[in-house]
Amino acid sequence: MTTSQSTRTPSVNPALTVLSSLILPGLGQVLLKKRGRGLMIFLATAVLAFLINWSFVHQNIAKVTLGGMATSWLWLALILFWVWNVLDVSALRADKAFSILPGIVCTAVILYVIAWNVTDVKLGRLIERFNDARSVAANLLNPDMITISVNGQDQICSWGCIQTYVSDKLAGRPTAGTIRPSDNLLDIFGRVKPLPAPKWQVNLGLAAPDSKVNTFVAGSMIETIAMGLMATLFSTILAIPISFFAARNIMSRLPGGMAIYYAARGILNVVRAIDTIVWGLIVIVWVGLGTFAGVVALTIHSVAALGKLFSEEIEHIDPGPVEAVTASGANLAQTIRFAVIPQLVPSFLAYSLLRWDINMRSATVIGFVAGGGIGFFVIETVRMGGYQQYATALWAVAVVIMLVDYISEKWRESILKDQPQKDETKKRPFANTLRTAFYVILGTAVFAYGWNITEISIRSMLNPGKNFGQLILDFISIDLSQQVVQVVFQQMLVTIFQAMLATTLGALIALPFSFLAAKNLTGRSLLSAWIYYLTRGMFNILRSIEALLYVVIFIFWVGIGPFAGMLALAVTSFALIGKLFSESIENIELGPIEAVNATGADRLQTIAYAVIPQIIPPFVSYLLYQWDINVRMATIIGFAGGGGIGLTLTTFFGSLQYHKAGTVVAFIVIVVALMDFASAKLREELI
Amino acid sequence: MLKVENLTKVYPNGTQALKNVSFEVKDGEFLAVIGLSGSGKSTLLRCINRLIEPTSGKIFWNDQDVTAASSADIRNVRRQIGMVFQQFNLVKRSTVFTNVMSGRLGYTNTLSSSLHLFSAEDRQRALSSLEQVGLADKAHVRADSLSGGQQQRVGIARALMQDPKLILADEPVASLDPVLAHSILKYLEQLNKERGITVLCSLHFLDLVHRYATSAIALKDGEIVFQGLPKQIDDAQFKAIYGQEAERVSVV
Repeated sequence: MTTSQSTRTPSVNPALTVLSSLILPGLGQVLLKKRGRGLMIFLATAVLAFLINWSFVHQNIAKVTLGGMATSWLWLALILFWVWNVLDVSALRADKAFSILPGIVCTAVILYVIAWNVTDVKLGRLIERFNDARSVAANLLNPDMITISVNGQDQICSWGCIQTYVSDKLAGRPTAGTIRPSDNLLDIFGRVKPLPAPKWQVNLGLAAPDSKVNTFVAGSMIETIAMGLMATLFSTILAIPISFFAARNIMSRLPGGMAIYYAARGILNVVRAIDTIVWGLIVIVWVGLGTFAGVVALTIHSVAALGKLFSEEIEHIDPGPVEAVTASGANLAQTIRFAVIPQLVPSFLAYSLLRWDINMRSATVIGFVAGGGIGFFVIETVRMGGYQQYATALWAVAVVIMLVDYISEKWRESILKDQPQKDETKKRPFANTLRTAFYVILGTAVFAYGWNITEISIRSMLNPGKNFGQLILDFISIDLSQQVVQVVFQQMLVTIFQAMLATTLGALIALPFSFLAAKNLTGRSLLSAWIYYLTRGMFNILRSIEALLYVVIFIFWVGIGPFAGMLALAVTSFALIGKLFSESIENIELGPIEAVNATGADRLQTIAYAVIPQIIPPFVSYLLYQWDINVRMATIIGFAGGGGIGLTLTTFFGSLQYHKAGTVVAFIVIVVALMDFASAKLREELI
Repeated sequence: MLKVENLTKVYPNGTQALKNVSFEVKDGEFLAVIGLSGSGKSTLLRCINRLIEPTSGKIFWNDQDVTAASSADIRNVRRQIGMVFQQFNLVKRSTVFTNVMSGRLGYTNTLSSSLHLFSAEDRQRALSSLEQVGLADKAHVRADSLSGGQQQRVGIARALMQDPKLILADEPVASLDPVLAHSILKYLEQLNKERGITVLCSLHFLDLVHRYATSAIALKDGEIVFQGLPKQIDDAQFKAIYGQEAERVSVV
């Protein structure tokens, strides 16, 4: 072994490598040709040292007093990290592998101690205020959906009441009162009300002028659905032309095209990094509060996201068919029609459907800032302490989102599947023409109705609010004074740590559940099938509600602040990680398990040698992915009282300090883009 | 000695994979099992170490009834029987060394092996197994960074860790480039000749059977249709095993 070491690094004195890592962590590793490892160690040391110092100076984290001098005990962990790095080099020198575990443990101790403190974790509160939480939970489990009228007095009819009513009715006994859908339910889904006749009905002679006709008034959930639909439609239409400017293979053929390509890619990335909710804050200054502001905010973010996906799809088209069609003598338009478009349509449609799902989720919370939709409804009811009303909204959101999720997934599957070619040699049967016509009419009607209730108004876009000019100017000249940057930087770190803690907590709880939700592990008995469906169902329900809607519950439980935000993020992380983990367990290869089994290994050994090595890399990769998502979500969790950078941002917006708000947005863009890039790179390494 | 008596396997979906299969393998033999895909070769091999539970019939390994063995006993039987797979069945993300070490699990206690603690003797054994298949320098790379032929050699090294008396090889060269087939089979032949390990190997190509096997059985639709020496398989036998449409092909 020593011979291979001396042939590998003939020029480096062995003692020198240890010494160099003692002076500068990672240097020894670099000298021993382990560049990546050395660089990681060096960066980790630098970042950890900075964080220890920062957390101590600003928040007195991990304070101990040694001989009259206050310092952070986390330095001890960093020293241990340093020692590990030296041991690592001496092991590398002998061409042995040294465990990376001590290094990871030291890093984790430092990061989690800081995260725990900046996120303001107060476990005591979870217990102290447990009774409060229980009363809210009771309210949440009994949503206000049905009203029962007993002797002229209206009251909420909860599950027990509904059960009694139904059994009374079935047994033919007299019921306690009469029931009807509650006003709250009608507020959410809509009701029929007499309203002044609209002009078109009068013009068509369907109603007398100034008369009242029964009209369906959309509820907040219908508004939300309309916002999601309209935004998806608009963004798909807008993203198609934009995506061509961001496609390298198209732009590189045009003179000056590459400049346009880089500009387009840059703009798409920046716009994408700013969350829909943050766009909402900007858009309300432009077009005013309301559902239309929601549609605009959703559309802006969605155009950028779709633009990127579409352009990547354009870049990846198969040049073979293009070549073949060109060779047959087709002109450019014909080539595009027969060789390019058929390749793009299915994937574009699939991405739009995926985006519809995402837009629907965003639409449920855009009302927190833009007004309109179910998000606005939630703020209003919670402000008045209506937890039973809020609970109905959560159930409505869960049902609608799960439905959308299901439709979108099935539709995408059927688009991307190899469809049976329809017989183009025959004339289209009349029934098909009729069906197409029906879909076109239905689509147009839905579109017109959506346009109507989301109050689309091109005029208000052309006629921006009076502060909008100021906002643009301030965003260009952002405030980079030390004071502001310091505050923003600090809150940004809190946000990142909040996201990290939420990911960890969510993953820890998800881990055992994910095994229960893996079909290949739960056996074939009836009981295990039930466990499987219950766990999967729980993941799906929890996942369908945005973290922003959960914050409200945790604020009531543990108070306003980053801890509440962290817990809300942990719930959604739990659900998503649980789903992803269980799917990766389902995807493990059976061959290695068979092989290890055949050697005479017992069950535990088989798990240790054939199962765990297969699931650890996808697990770590999903954790990084979730952390990335959580950082994005954590930037807005403050809008509902969840602390972090979102709180800073709404404060600046609320007090019209747009130049400071611009600083926050710039920071968010940088951090989100960096996280996105880093997590993608790391995940590539892992898989 | 391995003795199979009236072995029958019916899968839950009703497929009859093996019908009354009986044969004997003497110590030190290199027995080739031939037949079309779906003829029951894989099922037969997996019944011998009970990766698949036979429906009826008996299997005796050195006079021990494998079919009647308890779960503790079967562990003891399995560790004497190495297995090599068509798809190699390595844990792709683990190192070559860890994959080879996993061949020793039948001998080590559960707790220490689960923590990846092995005796110095076992580590040495792993390195020498890798040396035998010419991969000592690859011990610390990930299994999926190796080529197919190298991965199969790791599979053989893993089987060697068990100190096997018998090696079951299920289409060991079917996923490899034909030119690599000989390299893998030569390792098996070497183990068979030099260390007296009995080899039971399912193969596709008849010329490989002629070249390496000392005896052969042929399966068709789960039944034995030929039993004897490889050279006895003439054209008529060939058609009986593979069907009238079949043509002889050879591998380089």
